[in-house]
Parts: sequence; C-alpha cells; structure tokens
Amino acid sequence: MFKKPLALGIVSGLLAGIAGIVYSRVYYTINESDFSKVASAVRIVSASVFGGVLAAIGYTLLDKWLKTRGEIAFNLCFTLISFASLLAPIAVSLPRTIETPELFPGLVIPMHFFPALAWFTLKPIFIRSK
Amino acid sequence: MNKLFYPVAAVLILAGSAFTFLTAQSWQIADGYSITFSTNSDAAGIFKTFTGSLLFDEQNPGAGKFDVKVDVASVNTGNGLQNKHVKSDEWLDAARFPTIHFVSRSISKTGSGYQVAGDLDLHGVKKTIAFPFTFQKTAQGGTFAGSFTINRSDYNIGKPGGDIGEPIKLDISVPVTKS
Repeated sequence: MFKKPLALGIVSGLLAGIAGIVYSRVYYTINESDFSKVASAVRIVSASVFGGVLAAIGYTLLDKWLKTRGEIAFNLCFTLISFASLLAPIAVSLPRTIETPELFPGLVIPMHFFPALAWFTLKPIFIRSK
Repeated sequence: MNKLFYPVAAVLILAGSAFTFLTAQSWQIADGYSITFSTNSDAAGIFKTFTGSLLFDEQNPGAGKFDVKVDVASVNTGNGLQNKHVKSDEWLDAARFPTIHFVSRSISKTGSGYQVAGDLDLHGVKKTIAFPFTFQKTAQGGTFAGSFTINRSDYNIGKPGGDIGEPIKLDISVPVTKS
C-alpha cells in the first residue's frame, strides 16, 4: 500500500534534488551570487527527498480516507503547500556575510516546485490511476 | 629687530617641530571591520562599507581625531525585502541621506579605555554623542572596538511606536594597520 508511494516519493525527491543542484549551478553562473553556505547540494537533495517522502505519506493517507477523490485532493494539497512554502525563502534572514540576500528567493522559489513537478511526472510509472 | 629675527625663527621652528611629535598616529582601516546594529526586535544588520581617517595615539589620545563615513546603501539585514525597507524613505532614506558621518571633537582616556565625543550626522540630523571605546594594539596595528545606543526618534528614523523599539544599538569593531 505504502511501498509504491514511498518509492515514488524518494525517487521524485532525488530527481527534484538533482534538478535543484543543476538550477543552482546555472543561477550562480548567471548572477555570480554564492549561496552554497545556506543552500548546499546536500541540503537541496535532503530537503527535496524530505518533501517527496512527506508527499508519499500525504498521498497514502488521502487515498485511504477519500478513496477515488483522494488523488484529486492530494494533487491540490501538494500544489497549494508548494505554493504556500514560498513564504519561507522570502521571509528568511540569511547570514549577513552573504552579499546579495535579495537574490536568494530567485534561487530557492523555483526549487520549491521541483518535488511536485517530479512527483506528477513520475507518478504514472509507479502508480496507475484508478 | 633684525637681531631678534633669527632667534625667534629658531624658537618657532623648534617649537613647531616638537609639536610634530605630539601628532597622533594615523591608522588605516583594514578588512574585517564590523559595523552592526540591533534593536529590541529581530531588525538587525550590518553596514558593509565604511571609510574614513583615524588618528589616534594611546599616549596622547587628546590629539586623536576620527572622521568616518558609513555608506547607508551598504546595509545588509540578511533579507532582501528588509534591506529595501531599511533603505526606503520610511527608515534611513539612502537616496536623500547616503552617508552616516561621524567626526570626533575630543578623545579622552578613561579607567578601562577611552571616550570619544563628536558629531553624528545621521538621516539629516546632526547630534553630539559620546561613547566609550577600546584599542587593542597588535604588532601590525590594532583594533578599535566600541558600542553605543541612539534613539531612532532623535534622528527622525521610522515612525514612533511600532514593533521596533526606540533604542538602536551599534557595535563597532575596526581592525587597523599603521599607515
């Protein structure tokens, strides 16, 4: 029951993490703003996997409680939570040694959508729709 | 009259050259300085750009003089939105008042360090302040360190009341090298 969503959560989290690392490298090349102290590769991957596993738990619970409407509710919740989580990078105070904190949301905000994107992309491979 | 000219000139030259020995040592601001401010709330930050001249001699602090400028636009709170807010006309108004300027009037020795009094020109308001500081001498130079508190309403910074309290504490640490 939980095995497939968990596998999907971990794999989509890893994929989102890899996408996040690639994006951070591109962002650094374009803006020359180094945020590696606060958004290191390890942190990006672990946060993405954390999001993926959390999504797996949410999917399993909603699928169990709401049956056929569980998936719709889950998709809506995942997107809304990803969107609401944007407040965190906007409000965070970085170490003051970082020269350009105004560029930090531009780095992290797209990453907040990567776990959801990876989940929706890979879901048909792991879980077939009812 | 002519007889007196050379003796008087000699005395003046001697006296003048003697005073050069009383002139305070000039120090150059080194990297790694820290100008931080904090309030009773989470509003806090640093100023990244700090320039000026520092004349100071431990043996003769009275001959010293500080003339320093802080670039208001270099403020960094760690948050992009907060930086914008601090630089806006509601707070420091960096466009109209781009620098914070401090010029000392007097420096004196105290029990545990020194005391400087001078004019602080901040947000278009000039006020005389005094605060204690220390000087730790090293082989290559030394470090000036001091802290003081100002009331933001004295300088028309921000609106009265609100989440951010009146006192703003400034902590200063400036490593210097002999110039």
